Amino acid sequence: MENFEFLRNVTIGQYFQGDSIIHRLDPRAKITILLILVVVNSFILSFTGNVLLLSWCIALVLLSGISFRFMLSGIKPALPLIVIFALMQLFFYGDAYPPYGMESVTYWRWGIMSITNGSIQLVIVTLMRFLEIFFLVSLLTSTTTTTNIAYAIESMLEPFQRLRVPAQEISLIGTIALRFVPIFAEQMEIIMKAQASRGADFGEGGVFQFVKRTRQMVTLIVPLFVDAFRRAEDLILAMDARCYTGGRGRTKIVRFHMQRVDLLFIAFTAVFGVLIMVFRNHFPI
Amino acid sequence: MDTRGRVIIQVNDLHHTYLSGTPLEVKALKGVTMEVYEGEIVGIIGRTGAGKSTIVQHFNGLIRNRERGRVVVDGHDMADPSLDVRTIRQKVGLVFQHPEQQLFERLVGDDIAFGPKKMGLPPEVRRERVRWAMEMVGLDFEKFKDRFTFSLSGGEMRKVAIAGVLALQPKVLILDESTTGIDPRGRKELLSRMLNLNREHGVTLVFVSSNMDEVASIADRIYVIDDGRTVMHGTAREIFAQPEVLRRYGLGVPHVTTVAHRLAQDGIPMPRVPLTVAEAEEDIWKILSS
Ligand SMILES: Nc1ncnc2c1ncn2[C@@H]1O[C@H](COP(=O)(O)OP(=O)(O)OP(=O)(O)O)[C@@H](O)[C@H]1O
Ligand SMILES: [Mg+2]
Repeated sequence: MENFEFLRNVTIGQYFQGDSIIHRLDPRAKITILLILVVVNSFILSFTGNVLLLSWCIALVLLSGISFRFMLSGIKPALPLIVIFALMQLFFYGDAYPPYGMESVTYWRWGIMSITNGSIQLVIVTLMRFLEIFFLVSLLTSTTTTTNIAYAIESMLEPFQRLRVPAQEISLIGTIALRFVPIFAEQMEIIMKAQASRGADFGEGGVFQFVKRTRQMVTLIVPLFVDAFRRAEDLILAMDARCYTGGRGRTKIVRFHMQRVDLLFIAFTAVFGVLIMVFRNHFPI
Repeated sequence: MDTRGRVIIQVNDLHHTYLSGTPLEVKALKGVTMEVYEGEIVGIIGRTGAGKSTIVQHFNGLIRNRERGRVVVDGHDMADPSLDVRTIRQKVGLVFQHPEQQLFERLVGDDIAFGPKKMGLPPEVRRERVRWAMEMVGLDFEKFKDRFTFSLSGGEMRKVAIAGVLALQPKVLILDESTTGIDPRGRKELLSRMLNLNREHGVTLVFVSSNMDEVASIADRIYVIDDGRTVMHGTAREIFAQPEVLRRYGLGVPHVTTVAHRLAQDGIPMPRVPLTVAEAEEDIWKILSS
């Protein structure tokens, strides 16, 4: 049965009001924590390391009070893609990576395809790393308003302004992009409903019937883009009408000051990150 | 309001929750009961956010109910997963509240032809359908068929949106606030065209509106929705005879009806609740001459 509620699956870019400790952290602190954990994430290839990191991310989600189930539902639309990548890794990366902390074992081989304990480990670790990044980014956008994210990015890029880095513009582009994600989901719902109400068929075609689904998507993407351009034009007009002239010389109504909690959170994360990095080659598996 | 045909849409204690199970959950419908008879004009009124658009989206299966309640359209239970909703959508045409949301092709002609094309009609028949639909809403075929949809004015977009749905030749036409944003004369013209569609072509109309004068002039029967529930129903005359109750639901009565209520307060009762200026005029003449 068809279901047009796309918004249900959009968890990135959607802000949820709340009063948790994560909500109240300084946005710069949140971004710093995110950056630290992303760097750590990209170095850790072992099971143990990823279990630790994933637990850390889950703990942060729990602290934020955002429904865990809702956050996970954001992965659903990407599931087919994830499954395909996982299968490719499983079958074709058998010899590419020696397993971490184990003797190499080959379970199955046929032509260029093979399954080894290395490829199995790769699949599991990749999934965990994906989940970590997904949780972190969703957490940032669901506990921080776009205005505050923009503020944080801008203020963190400020030191680079002397090198002619357009801090304000970069943060503006970033926040507009984030803000547009749920808008696109809503728009997609509207266009699909419009076409469906006049006889287009979105009901059939399971998740894995790619050709059919792709063909359906094409008829949606053109109007979606047209709409996006129209919205962009409207936005430009609205910004002009309010005399937006870009970065230089703008002042802020709200100024953030890092509090002790913020620094504590950063310190904890940093210590945790450094410990994992130092011991990353000493984990048993 | 002559002889009642058979029931074509039947709604029983309908509930609907948007984005259920997420933090964004909205309980939009909490018990709507109504029916639409073949050949009649039903009005749905209610304040902003009452759930009117949510109800009508159930009528053509854009929203399928999975919660409490039942929607039966033309004999088919809409909750039945084996039902081919496309056949329903061809019988029940829905014109969206925001017409610019309903147009997705580049050219007006292509957009109106979308439905007939999906039905698999041959090109000549399609062309005839488009021509007929455009005529029904008062758009000149030659002048408009090659216009870009995004270059139209708001009122023209509404007409194209209605034509696009009419091209399916539905048995039931649902108009969700379809006259807002059109100038008074354009509204009147569109209303009389819709009325003509009902009288001459036997199309059942479901008319969602927040303009009481319009609803009064066109609807045979009216349902009042408030906070996701059916709170009143009856003929237009019955409904607009109760201005105090309507006020409680954030609604008013037509201007002519207000005049009648004021006259009654001043000791000059009218023989009936007038729904149109013509009716009021007739009654006032009667009172004056007696
Ligand atoms: N797609 C959606 N997702 C989530 N909530 C929705 C959606 N559409 C409507 N709602 C909510 O459901 C409730 C009923 O909305 P609905 O559009 O049916 O009201 P309406 O009576 O048509 O109002 P209006 O007169 O303003 O058109 C509102 O609270 C609205 O915010
Ligand atoms: Mg509405």
